[in-house]
Amino acid sequence: MSLPQGERQIGTDLECGGLTPLSILNVQAHPKSVRASKWSAVSSHRTPNVFIVCALVFCVAVAAFAADRIPPAPKRYFTQYTQLVSQATAETLNQKLEEFEKKTSSQILVVIFPRLPQGAALEDFTVRTFQAWGVGEKGKDNGAVLFIFVADRKIRIEVGYGLEGAIPDAIAKRIIEDEIRPRFQRRDMEGGIVAGANALMQAAQGEYRGTGTTVAQRRTGGGGRVPCGSGIILAVIVIVVLSSMARRLGGGTMYHRRRRRHAYWGTPWITTGGWGGGSSRGGGGWSSGSFSGGGGRSGGGGASGGW
Amino acid sequence: MKKYGLGCLGVAALLLLITVIGGCGGYNRLVRLQQGVDAQWGNVQNQYQRRSELVPNLVQTVAGAANFEKSTLSDIVRARASVNQVQTAQSPNNEAQLRRFEQAQNELGSALSRLLVIVERYPELKANNNFRDLQAQLEGTENRIAVERTRFNEAGQNYNTAIKQFPAVVYAGALGFHPKPYFQSAPGSETAPKVQFDFGTQTSAPAKGP
Repeated sequence: MSLPQGERQIGTDLECGGLTPLSILNVQAHPKSVRASKWSAVSSHRTPNVFIVCALVFCVAVAAFAADRIPPAPKRYFTQYTQLVSQATAETLNQKLEEFEKKTSSQILVVIFPRLPQGAALEDFTVRTFQAWGVGEKGKDNGAVLFIFVADRKIRIEVGYGLEGAIPDAIAKRIIEDEIRPRFQRRDMEGGIVAGANALMQAAQGEYRGTGTTVAQRRTGGGGRVPCGSGIILAVIVIVVLSSMARRLGGGTMYHRRRRRHAYWGTPWITTGGWGGGSSRGGGGWSSGSFSGGGGRSGGGGASGGW
Repeated sequence: MKKYGLGCLGVAALLLLITVIGGCGGYNRLVRLQQGVDAQWGNVQNQYQRRSELVPNLVQTVAGAANFEKSTLSDIVRARASVNQVQTAQSPNNEAQLRRFEQAQNELGSALSRLLVIVERYPELKANNNFRDLQAQLEGTENRIAVERTRFNEAGQNYNTAIKQFPAVVYAGALGFHPKPYFQSAPGSETAPKVQFDFGTQTSAPAKGP
């Protein structure tokens, strides 16, 4: 558990009690979840071009405001920020959930937080988080997340629009009340979580047919980078046009500015390209089992409970 | 000199082009945002409708319990009847229309939450599986209502901001784009009927000032 300092800070910034996912070795911060002042790409650069800096800071501030207190999207199907489940069980469950996506295309996540962010209401927090992570495929909205907040002793099953038929509120409630809660009360946390996840998978089975691949796999196959590439092409065209205009209008003095622009703008693109790709590449073995949201939505379906 | 004049003309033409394209784009954007508000209104109504449809089943189940207070049930039935009168297909264009809708829905909401409080005194009802399912559905629906209301307010805020921004503000009113009212976060109206005290600090819905 040796995370770099910069990444550790994000957790405390989110007020989730120092979020350090135990099942993930490499936590990359989702840019949206980081506040403007903490975004290293902005703060570490000293550039004379005030306008660009202002524009960037503004963009990041808007994104940060919209995603206030939303934790970064998990990289695995099973993620615990506080040790509740043994490593072996966590790995098995993660694989099972990945298999489930391959088989049915529905994404089911299990996420264990130490506590709710300060002042956040359970249902409001989970629906926003679900939305930000985009669990489930876009259009199908076939995602579901089992949230556990240990210190608050709260359980929430958040169901995407597309799974509301398979996991109606009453079923979600029964999963909490009959599968998870009794085990949690007996202090069998691991058993409760596994039983809850199994029950969710069982309920969601048969609702959609899978393609044998996961969103994360398809993304690393190249699909996820297309918008980034077209953005670079567009930007190159803009720069070429601008510089040719500048040369025609202003003469030689613009040359320096152009060079600076190249030097500065290069960096953010590299950073954006970095998180688009995801971290699983090896095509099998340990690096498989990584999760990537497909852009699914939830309208607040599901059930809440406690123990 | 001639070259200079040509340049000026070129710049003017470019500006005109930008204005026209920008104007069309601006109009299309307003249409899209307005449709977004209407679509979101549909979602809000769906969820209220869903709650309303739960009522008969709920009343029937609860009425089966021994000597359950009849006044609570008749309150619910009455509130549901008045809710069905305030349905509007399009998103309301003025404040008063939305308030009427909201008030009727709030009455049903508070009648239902009273019911759930009273039910706590009836252990045999709480143990009833049918009632448990209904309660879960009711809670889920209340939560969905809160979510869709928030999203309606967000959609409305986007739209209202767009029609009040500079280029649009000139023509928005003339083309029939009028500001949309927001849901107000009246005490108790957005919270689920179960007792939950930590909603107070949450500012999920942008409430419009008086």
